[in-house]
Amino acid sequence: MNKWGRRLTDKVEFGIFTLPVLICVAVAFYIPFVLTVRYSLTKWNGISKHPKFIGLDNFKQIFTGDSIFASSSWFTVKYMILYIVIINVLAIALALVLDSRLKSKTFLRAAFFIPYILSLVIVGFIWKFIFMQGFESLGASTGWPLFGWSWLGDSGLAFWSVLFVSIWQSIGFYMVIYIAGLQSVPDDLKEAATVDGAGPVRRFFSVTLPLLAPSITIAVFMALTNAIKVFDIILSLTGGGPGNSTYSVAFDIYQDTFTNNMYGYGTAKALVLFVAVLIITVVQLTIFKRREVEG
Amino acid sequence: MRSNPAGRIVLEVVMVLLALLFLYPLFLAVFNSLKSFQEVMTDVIALPKHFSFANYSYVWKFINYPRLFLNNFVVTALGLLGIVLVSSVAAYKLSRTGTKLSAVIYFLCIMPMLIPFQSIMLTVLKTAQFLHLSNSTWGLGLLYWGFGAPLAVFIYHGFVKGIPRELDESATIDGASGFRLFFSVIFPLLKSVTATVVIIDVMWIWNDFLLPLLMVNGLPTTKTLTLAAYTFVGQYTSDWQYAMTAMVMAVLPSIIVFIFLQKYIVKGVVAGAVKG
Repeated sequence: MNKWGRRLTDKVEFGIFTLPVLICVAVAFYIPFVLTVRYSLTKWNGISKHPKFIGLDNFKQIFTGDSIFASSSWFTVKYMILYIVIINVLAIALALVLDSRLKSKTFLRAAFFIPYILSLVIVGFIWKFIFMQGFESLGASTGWPLFGWSWLGDSGLAFWSVLFVSIWQSIGFYMVIYIAGLQSVPDDLKEAATVDGAGPVRRFFSVTLPLLAPSITIAVFMALTNAIKVFDIILSLTGGGPGNSTYSVAFDIYQDTFTNNMYGYGTAKALVLFVAVLIITVVQLTIFKRREVEG
Repeated sequence: MRSNPAGRIVLEVVMVLLALLFLYPLFLAVFNSLKSFQEVMTDVIALPKHFSFANYSYVWKFINYPRLFLNNFVVTALGLLGIVLVSSVAAYKLSRTGTKLSAVIYFLCIMPMLIPFQSIMLTVLKTAQFLHLSNSTWGLGLLYWGFGAPLAVFIYHGFVKGIPRELDESATIDGASGFRLFFSVIFPLLKSVTATVVIIDVMWIWNDFLLPLLMVNGLPTTKTLTLAAYTFVGQYTSDWQYAMTAMVMAVLPSIIVFIFLQKYIVKGVVAGAVKG
């Protein structure tokens, strides 16, 4: 009897401990997710009471007749690749310099990290001001033609502006990951390489870089998950413009859903984004898992 | 570098200049928030002629800054409290129970890390409206419990594994059980990992934009700081001096906190990334 009572208490306790988190996660993710799947099969403007069931028509439309979705996907892919490569190369370079014995390194680390603690939307606005007003004054005082270009008004340049501002905002984050990684590289290993006569370049590529592999895994993973969802900066910096040239997939979903009131169509696109993120994440995790086992 | 002090000094100077250039946009934002409309229009890069906080008092009143600050504080504090409580308790139990059910629940808890928010934003709004959580500061805070749980459960779960079970057992013998055991014995041992969760989540919730935009943008009394700055700029597209003032006022709290807690923030962010 006592044993049975004990077991029951254990079960009740298990329930009390885990039920709250399950409810929270269900409200935030699972219920909305199921609703997303349901709405994606409908045509719905959000006003009428009953969304009209149209099967897979939304998906057909997305993949065959939606030029904005195609261009925003291309924008996102291009942005993702460049963001991942550039931010990791720059962050490693910065980390290498700041890992040395500079007297000002505490200040330097803080300086490069600060934009990361700021809200992306606000960062976008501040840079909009710099691009639109600041560059005019900078151009007048330096005479450099660079400042005269239309950084937000030209569709080619606007892409680079979005990329640049995103990198400016988040480079500090990747930098501190690499600094932490470098600090776990034992000094005697670097010294041993110096004794062997390896120059700084050789030493970097044959000793430091391989030892940074775990940090690179983490940083690339984070960069990828952040880049595929790029949204806030675009909203405040370019508003998707000029034209639709800086629409990312996430921005396109937002526009379709909340500006054009195509609720069914927007959620269908949202589901496509989810599947893309899922595939990319699973592929990446498998690759990294395999490599970790080998190493 | 070690053997060449001259080279080190040059590198030092170059890096400091580079860092100042890197932060130049923020300096420009501050300078221009202190200028008049005329001054901003004639020369953005010039220093303000005299320090005037007229823009600040205007924006302070116009957006009702104290109210926004309070809203941000309530949302962040409420969200954080729930995430830490709900997630640590669950992660502890899940980590200590070896059943299949426990594994399934753990999977259900961390799986949503793969769902991008934009994929469910409309239906999150619908769900929140149904539960009467939308258009309310408290409702927004409550919603973060679910959005923050996956990462927090994941981080706590990994950490609890490293705490020996003998501790639970000896506490049970002493008569403690359930929540008392957890909060008097286990939770204090989770201090370092709680700090990580707190730092990551404060930075995220305080600055978050899209969820507040969907949930609490309807009423001026429920807006958050970032949200109000966003709407404000929308209204004052050419009055850059006011816009920059609003920007500075929105980011200043974060920068001040960062200056004081720099070491812990960086440590927490790194720990979160490495574990997550």
